Amino acid sequence: MASFTASHVSFSAVPCSFKQNQVSNSRIASLSFSGKGFSSRKLPVLRFRVACAAKPETVNKVIEIVKKQLALPEDRDVSGESTFATLGADSLDTVEIVMGLEEEFGISVEEESAQSIATVQDAADLIEKLLEK
Amino acid sequence: MKLHCFERTFFHSSSSLTPIQLPAPMETHLWYVKPSEVRSESLLDQYLDILPPCERENVLQMRGEELRKSALLARALVRTTIARYQINSHSNPRSLKFRKNLHGKPEVQWQFRDDRHPPPLHFNISHTSSLVACGVTTNAQIGIDVEEKHRSIKHNILSFARRYFSKHEVQFLAAISDPQVQRMEFIKLWTLKEAYVKALGKGFSGAPFKTFTIRFKGVMEGGFNTLEDLSLKASEIVVDSFDDPTDLTSNWQFSLLELANSHYAAICTEKHGAGSGKRNSPGKLTVWKTVPFLEDECVSGTAAVKVIHGVQ
Repeated sequence: MASFTASHVSFSAVPCSFKQNQVSNSRIASLSFSGKGFSSRKLPVLRFRVACAAKPETVNKVIEIVKKQLALPEDRDVSGESTFATLGADSLDTVEIVMGLEEEFGISVEEESAQSIATVQDAADLIEKLLEK
Repeated sequence: MKLHCFERTFFHSSSSLTPIQLPAPMETHLWYVKPSEVRSESLLDQYLDILPPCERENVLQMRGEELRKSALLARALVRTTIARYQINSHSNPRSLKFRKNLHGKPEVQWQFRDDRHPPPLHFNISHTSSLVACGVTTNAQIGIDVEEKHRSIKHNILSFARRYFSKHEVQFLAAISDPQVQRMEFIKLWTLKEAYVKALGKGFSGAPFKTFTIRFKGVMEGGFNTLEDLSLKASEIVVDSFDDPTDLTSNWQFSLLELANSHYAAICTEKHGAGSGKRNSPGKLTVWKTVPFLEDECVSGTAAVKVIHGVQ
């Protein structure tokens, strides 16, 4: 299922040797092309998702739990792409978020899986994978 | 643990770092910055300036000014701190290179012409939005963790502990009746466990929290099981690992501090020459409060550093 978002210009991280490699345990291949606004013309952001992505309701529920745990202001923009790190979640926050997700969805997340969650989308996908079982 | 330093305060011109000698074996250096005390825009620009492009972009990606500031200070602190030790030619914070070990633990990538033995400097950083800290040792693995004393835990403490901590630790926390005290002891335990895992360098899943117990051991044999026992001065923090029999308690030593009246800081360092029969004496700890390029103040032995555990 491919999704195209033409209106949003987003900043993507330059690969950096010291940045932690986040290996997602879901089968999603995600490519994003984006440009910083050097000119007045906006560049499209293309995202290809090879496997099935989680339902929007699941993603929204994760966003709600994350916003609550991190006490984010209501106007803070959090989407599936948001990484926990850039939202300011430290290890204790991440563990609390995972606990919140376990309680909300009635699932049990192993330490290894929890460590591979980098974005809100990763969390939502993992939840649905665990719910399928 | 002995805390002392010779010179209290250094003031110097901007863009200069007071050089310092590597800690002796069994000695630990701890440097910390309080973001609230860094107000100069030009100083923050100087910090941004010493970062390579990828680190700079990671900082700018953080969502929110406070988060960006503490992320920036974390990188600036680690670079300027290591540069102070002037290891061979690595005295420029800008030119240091970092990489991750097999399990994701950050380390310095030393640049040498020949492939000599890497310098024995080890470091670890931890930060909250209100305090950033960097610990340094020589020839010993180190892990540190800092947390705000008054951090709120969204979940029920005991539910959290039952899910993530070991049985002994749950019992210890369950025996505390005052919820405020229980929360603070929980946070102290969390920082100690984090520091241990970070010292091991195997990542969160390499040493799951449930697979080891951190407890307080008295000078006399026999454990302390309640908080009341802890009020006795002589207690030592020890770790028992269930999973890894090779990872002996005697390999690691812990200190727990209260920093600047606002944070708990746990330091876990490797012990060498343990088990030789002589009493394990905790090493020396020296603590500096710093604003890199601007001011360093040795705060060991002052009210800014209260040693909770690790004292003889």
